[in-house]
Amino acid sequence: MATNLEESLRAKASRPANVPADRVHEIDMYALDGIDEGYHEAWKKVHRPGMPNLIWTPFTGGHWIATNGETVKEVYSDPSRFSSEVIFLPKEAGEKYQMVPTRMDPPEHTPYRKSLDKSLNLGRIRKVEAKVREVAAGLIDNFADKGECDFAAEYAGVFPVHVFMALADLPLEDVPLLSVFARQMTRPEGNTPEEMAADLEAGNNGFYAYVDPIIRARTGGSGEDLITQMVNTEINGKPIDHDKAQGLISLLLLGGLDTVVNFLSFFMIHLAKHPDVVAELRSDPLVLMRGVEEMFRRFPVVSEARMVAKDIDYDGVTLKRGDMILLPTALHGLDETLNPEPWKLDLSRRGISHSTFGGGPHRCAGMHLARMEVIVTLEEWLKRIPEFSLAPDARPTYHSGIVAAVENVPLVWSVDR
Amino acid sequence: MEALRDSGIDELLALCGGCCSCATCHVRVGADFIDRLPAMSDDEDDLLDSSEHRTPESRLSCQIVISDELAGLVVEIAPED
Repeated sequence: MATNLEESLRAKASRPANVPADRVHEIDMYALDGIDEGYHEAWKKVHRPGMPNLIWTPFTGGHWIATNGETVKEVYSDPSRFSSEVIFLPKEAGEKYQMVPTRMDPPEHTPYRKSLDKSLNLGRIRKVEAKVREVAAGLIDNFADKGECDFAAEYAGVFPVHVFMALADLPLEDVPLLSVFARQMTRPEGNTPEEMAADLEAGNNGFYAYVDPIIRARTGGSGEDLITQMVNTEINGKPIDHDKAQGLISLLLLGGLDTVVNFLSFFMIHLAKHPDVVAELRSDPLVLMRGVEEMFRRFPVVSEARMVAKDIDYDGVTLKRGDMILLPTALHGLDETLNPEPWKLDLSRRGISHSTFGGGPHRCAGMHLARMEVIVTLEEWLKRIPEFSLAPDARPTYHSGIVAAVENVPLVWSVDR
Repeated sequence: MEALRDSGIDELLALCGGCCSCATCHVRVGADFIDRLPAMSDDEDDLLDSSEHRTPESRLSCQIVISDELAGLVVEIAPED
């Protein structure tokens, strides 16, 4: 984990000619002000009266930031102006990112995306629900009668990873190695763009080297696992190129290893402080299933970027081709102009608006799996642990980055049943 | 979608509550109404494309806003994928 990010050591870019001075706000996406109090709380500080739709920060190589839900959504939705040519910041690191097809724009992107959807659509995901439930139940049974656990370490960090390794037919022993690669990519360490690029590249190369022999072994195979399906897919009528298959399988691992992991801990911290919401979840299976979308709104974890595709005027400023725009999805879900009383986790909220799964052609291909993992977690958890709270001395540690993270989530409950 | 859900038709899960992201509010719209509905977005089209039960009458009901013009609209809930 990136720690000790001394502000004095953090590299700052100088302001380019197209950035007006009054748009400059010093926001470090990897070391947000106030992160100790919470990741969403720290991002939310950007929502101040009179804030323009786009601001610019000198940190992380210098980039724009979309500050509200409408802008995050609009940038995601229009690849003709806002390209996926580079999607991770700092840009120097984003250029080392080789996953497929996240850096492609349509129409090149489309056939790869169709292949992903074929394996991850709702129907396919429903077929694996029993397996997912078994993993969840097994993990919770490990500690349910102890009356306490570190939720981040003993459940959230393990469950989505076990599910994913089962779906991909990979050995659990490989998880620690893959988790390092994922961290290097989503929270690369270093104080300068160059240092961060080196860490991200190491993670990317690590994934590529890991999947290389697996792809070769499963090409032409008939297994039902996700990797075999993906490597035997056709792109525009031809077998997928080896390097593209490496990027595609690496993306599956990255997506499956770091996002749901952190999301689960964020909402469980909230539930541990709000027994009334937990009671509502227990009251009716449909309330639980339909309440999960509100959790996606309330606890977004991803902040990716788009690259300006051509010189354009937007929001009263000139954007130059190659400029980067960060899209903190937290600033959409928590935007009170779209979601009144945004801090409230309101299971009966109507007209939920969020970009937690991104948007446009690259909207998260794993969203059906993510939704099911959350529903199953809540169902199996509440069956065994109907009431729980944070340990009195709990002090969760938050980290910001492309994917937000949280550690130290000690939960306690009564076992006198 | 809300009209169906609020009247207690729990067969229609409509999990995402109208975000056009879960594909669990799939309905089939009578042929005499299908042309009167708003155009389909790429998101809706992609989600329906992944359903084995898609027909030319398929829509996600969260993308149909009830109006006077749609009085008499009848939909059938599509089988679960």
